[in-house]
Amino acid sequence: MASQEYSPVAAAVGMDENFLSLDDILMSQEKLTSRVETVFPRLGFLEKSSDETDIAVGTKLEMPLWLVKGLHDGKRRIVSVELPKIYREGWRTVFSADPNVVDLQKLGPYYYSLGLQMLHFDSPENLEIAQTLVQTYVGRFRRIMDSSQNAYNEDVSALVEKLDVLERSLFGAGQAGLNGFQCWEKGHASRITASSLVKNYRKRKFADLEV
Amino acid sequence: MDPSEVEFLAEKEMVTIIPNFSLDKVYLIGGELGPFNPGLPVDVPLWLAINLKQRQKCRIVPPEWMDVEKLEVIREQERKEDTFTPIPSPYYMELTKLLLNHASDNIPKADEIRTLVKDTWDTRIAKLRLSADSFVSQQEVHAKLDNLTLMEINTIGTFFTDSLNNLFKIRANLQPRGESTMSQEY
Amino acid sequence: MADTMGGFSDSEDESQELMTPAQLIGKLEEAWLNEKFAPELLENKSEIVECVMEQLNHMEENLQRSKKGDLRATIHRMETERIRYVLSSYLRSRLQKIEKYFPHVLEKEKSRAEGEPSYLSPEEYAFAKEYYANTETFLKNVALKSMPPNLQTVDLGKSVPKPNLDSFVFLRVKERQENILVEPETDEQREYAVDFEEGSQHLIRYRTVAPLVASGAVQLI
Repeated sequence: MASQEYSPVAAAVGMDENFLSLDDILMSQEKLTSRVETVFPRLGFLEKSSDETDIAVGTKLEMPLWLVKGLHDGKRRIVSVELPKIYREGWRTVFSADPNVVDLQKLGPYYYSLGLQMLHFDSPENLEIAQTLVQTYVGRFRRIMDSSQNAYNEDVSALVEKLDVLERSLFGAGQAGLNGFQCWEKGHASRITASSLVKNYRKRKFADLEV
Repeated sequence: MDPSEVEFLAEKEMVTIIPNFSLDKVYLIGGELGPFNPGLPVDVPLWLAINLKQRQKCRIVPPEWMDVEKLEVIREQERKEDTFTPIPSPYYMELTKLLLNHASDNIPKADEIRTLVKDTWDTRIAKLRLSADSFVSQQEVHAKLDNLTLMEINTIGTFFTDSLNNLFKIRANLQPRGESTMSQEY
Repeated sequence: MADTMGGFSDSEDESQELMTPAQLIGKLEEAWLNEKFAPELLENKSEIVECVMEQLNHMEENLQRSKKGDLRATIHRMETERIRYVLSSYLRSRLQKIEKYFPHVLEKEKSRAEGEPSYLSPEEYAFAKEYYANTETFLKNVALKSMPPNLQTVDLGKSVPKPNLDSFVFLRVKERQENILVEPETDEQREYAVDFEEGSQHLIRYRTVAPLVASGAVQLI
């Protein structure tokens, strides 16, 4: 039985984030361009290109998502957010034409999770963004399924190259199912192997001894 | 579930053996077996049949369907139909692998049987992927999966349910929602 | 060794239905698969676990008296090992879920009405409480104590994800069910009802069938 020594918390994939999910933490570091809506007194030093003491209304700043969410919520609108290109109408047209051609790793890599986070900022395009996310996911599903179910014992880096983080984990689940079955069919499954934790532990011990 | 656990379940299937030893009835927790008499067929679970075979204490009688002609019909049927055809055993794949690996000398035309079963499996898995794809693209909520075996479901199961669960989460945001519930207040 | 069959009927609980040992093992296997595939922690089956343990201990005691190389004893040993596997896999998958959802498992236990059966066995409850306390201590020692005073607490109930009851599951129907309402997924779809024929298999959202899993009318696969 494949025992998991550590089961990481999965990404929430929604408007909420999972506090303990590494994927969500990394996603919340994604930079967004935001426009300052109230003066930031005495914070001018944050902006290297100007000598002003304050940051004026209308200044554009790059900020991580977690900070933007703190400065733009139900109570305050200290900043407003510019929609990243990939969620704007131009790209949405590309996605509706053929979602499979887009390199979501390069343009994402948290395309779905970040896209859902963008719904926090009350854009008039929210509905279209959400619809595009669904269509893109559905449109790319077949290719992910086929590639993850056909690639056995080969280098898969080319197959996952253009997938976003969520799609990669899905690809991994497909591969795990396929590999499990192939191992079973070949009779490898009947061999009991040491857990990787135990193996690493031994290695560490030996390494310590050699010193 | 790990395929070896599906195999574990398959090992409960009853098969006929012809023992070469005598033993009175055995009262197992899961039911009684035997009596065993040399040369007289008796039904036992597969896990026991294989163990006895390994110790050269019996000959295994292959299940009725494990026969080249019958399997050819099944394979053709499977290729012809779009839907999943009823299969002679819910554990056909596991039984084939276990019996051919451990008792191939008791099964006539073992290699042909292996190929026929694998062909049937491949056809069925291809159909399974097709239906998975249409399930996702139609954004369905319920599917009937009669005639699918546990091993078939298990091979694609986690991938498929993960895909649907993701899709459900992404789609959950199509309707504007009331109050925002942050997973953690900062 | 025929006497081992009698060991089960003298159970302390008289209201409990009499089951043959074979049926008991069947129940354990059902519980095992349901627990493996259900997204949430199911009600514990301590009665089954205890009865199976009793059977196994009884059998193993008898086996100690057998001679080495006795075929009959070998067969019995193989069977007990198989049952032990199912039993420990069942208990282990429950522990994994407790580790994954511990704040919610404890919350459910706390809000349980008096007289309602507990989802956890006493041992599992102790495990969950200890796991909670250890996690809290760990987070405190590793990070929280170095944070500013107003950020020194983490609400575990909010930060540990809840089980996703909307997960899709595969199931086989054991008792025929009529009019299972399937909620629509898109705006174009409408709610509709399906009948579950005995022996049929389905793919559906767990939430829709959770009561049927609990009652034993369907088996997750």
